[in-house]
Parts: sequence; C-alpha cells; structure tokens
Amino acid sequence: MSEIIQLAAAVLGTLGFAVLFNIRGKKLLFAALGGLLVWGVYLIAAHITANEYLCGFLASVMLTVYAECMARVHRTPVTVFLVSAAIPLIPGGALYRAMDCLLRRDWEGAADSGSYALLFAASMSAGITLTTVVIRSAWKHFRKERRM
Amino acid sequence: MNITKRDEAEQCLACAMSIGEQLLISGAEVSRVEDTIRRVCMAYGASRVDVFSITSSIVTTMYCDGFSPCTQTRRVTGISNDLNRLDELNQLARRICAKRPAPESIQEDLAKIMEESRYSFPIQVLTYALISGAFSVFFGGDVKDMVSAALIGVLLKCFESFVKRETENTMFTALLCSAAGGFLANLAVRAGLGNHADLISIGNVMLLIPGIAFTNSLRDFFSGDTITGLTRFVESVLLAIIIALGFALPGFLF
Repeated sequence: MSEIIQLAAAVLGTLGFAVLFNIRGKKLLFAALGGLLVWGVYLIAAHITANEYLCGFLASVMLTVYAECMARVHRTPVTVFLVSAAIPLIPGGALYRAMDCLLRRDWEGAADSGSYALLFAASMSAGITLTTVVIRSAWKHFRKERRM
Repeated sequence: MNITKRDEAEQCLACAMSIGEQLLISGAEVSRVEDTIRRVCMAYGASRVDVFSITSSIVTTMYCDGFSPCTQTRRVTGISNDLNRLDELNQLARRICAKRPAPESIQEDLAKIMEESRYSFPIQVLTYALISGAFSVFFGGDVKDMVSAALIGVLLKCFESFVKRETENTMFTALLCSAAGGFLANLAVRAGLGNHADLISIGNVMLLIPGIAFTNSLRDFFSGDTITGLTRFVESVLLAIIIALGFALPGFLF
C-alpha cells in the first residue's frame, strides 16, 4: 500500500517539475509516465537487492532507455525526458540532510547522508552515461547497416 | 548560402553563438552546445571549427579558406531549465544545417523562440503546491503534512517572485525562501495544521535544493567535462548549505 502511495507521489512530483521546466503538451504526460516507470523499477530492484546504489543504477539504465526511445518518438532532445523523468531518483533529500547535519555539527550524520547523496548521484550518472554510450553506438551501427 | 567573405563568416558565427548561448541557458549539456555550434558553422562551409564551452562561457574559432579565422566569445549568466525552448532551439539548429538560410532569417526565428513564454503565474503557483505536497508524502508524511506543505508551497512561490524582483543573487534568494519555508513549517505544526515539521519542510526543500545540478555535475565528470562538473558541483553544494542554513534558522525561534 505504501508503495502505491509512493508511486503516485513520484508521478505527481515529476509532473510538477515537468511543468516548472516548461515541458508542453503531450510530452508532459510522457515525462510523468517516465517518473512512474523509473520509481517502479527502483522499487522492484529494492525487493531483489538491499544495495540502494545498485537499485539507483538499474533505475537510471531504465530511465535512459525510456528517454532515448521517447526522444526518437517525439523528435526532441533526449535531455527533455532524461531530466524530467529522473526527478524521483534525484538524491535532493539526502543532500539536504547532509548539509543540515553539517550545520548541527552531527559529523556522523553528515558523513552518512553526504556519502549516500554523492554515491547515489554517481551510480545514477554511471547508469545514464553507460546506457547512453551503448544505445548511441548501437543506433549508429543499426542505421549504417540499413543504408547498405 | 555559402560564406565567401569575412564579415559573412562573422555574421554566421554570431548566429551560431546566439543559438549556443540560449541552449546553455535553457539547460542543455555542454557537449550539446559545442556540437550544435560546430555543426551550424560547418554547414556554412567552415573548414574547421574549434568550440570550447563551460557553463559560464563559450569560445569559438571558425576557420574558413580564403581569409583569416574569426573568433567570438560569449559570457553566459543565469541558467534556468526551459526544456520547451531547448527543444525549439534544437529544431532551429537542425533546420539551419539542412537549409542554410541567411543570417537575418535566423535572427528572426531566434527572436520568435525567445518570445515564447512560460506557464502562467497561477499555474506555477499550483505547481509549487503540487510538488511540495507530493514530496512531503513521498518521504513519509501524512495527509495533514501534505496539505500544509502544499499551502506553504503556494506562499513560497509568491514570496520567491517578490524576492526575485528585488535581487538577482540566487544565494540570497535561496536563503530568504528557505528561511521563510522553515518558519512556516514550524508555524503550521504549532497551529495544529501539520504533524511533522521536518516532513513538511522536505516537500518545500525539494523545490529549492539543486539536486538536478548536483546529479548533472557528476554526469559531467563521467562524460569528461571536468571543469563544468567542478563548477556545478561546488555551486550546488554551496546552495545546499545555504538552504539547510535557511531552514535551520527559524528553529532558534521556536
């Protein structure tokens, strides 16, 4: 039950940020759908493994695949969907908690949240960069073969 | 058209730079900006184009056969995500590469893109409420926390647009907004409107915290744009400290 509520919150949050980023029309809907998909993958991965960074990595792989597909369907830059659908994953809360602990001189809490935010963002970036490289080179290869 | 004279080359380069500058401001990655400028210049017949861009500056040198190379730089300030504009600029760049129109018509198209507005103020206010409420629940808040976070979101948007009119300093704006957010969250709990001040705050924090810039800075590191990554990383960590400070300040009052 709590997971369904979380998914709904993730979709609404993503939709909100998509509006703030001035995404228009049908793309707004697909951005929100991306948020749902990404958080869904994260929750499923969290059932299988206890490693949060691995969950983040897998969800970012899904995010990039979705963004690349949607960018080709809607003929827009990949950034449009990559930035908006990533919203539920972004470790903004952890970043805030790290700084909050720092100001309270809770060094242990700051180290915990800070390293979490940093490593989570790093595993997301790794997932995104890796998938982008694989998809782009596969796409190039595919188009070259079709031309021949 | 193909370039034959130096002043034509400078005009084309200026157009390419304007497109690149606006792309950067709209939130495009540095690699996309560099790639777009290079493609546009190459389309007009340059023999070699060297582009270097970081988040705050673009430098381009365009080499053509027959006359000396020309260089232009742009200082870029203020980055705000506007993905609709990014999309249209990207389409414009593609159209330029395919049809190579005269620089005057590019300027017209660019001006048209710049005129397009964002969502209206009431919609943005509602969006702030939506985001605050959604993230308050996302991090484990209950219905009362959600409602108070959404209400504070509405007030924050009004407060933010007021502060932004007075000052352009992003750090100062963030400090004032987060202090107001923390104060209102504590007030809401005192008045019995919400249950947990921290879970109400986290919804409002998500509006201000530069989480996307933080994640993008690591992406920049991974794709080899180290200087851009460093700049964005330092900026987002500093802003996060300021926001945490702002939300902690009202705690001394209660």
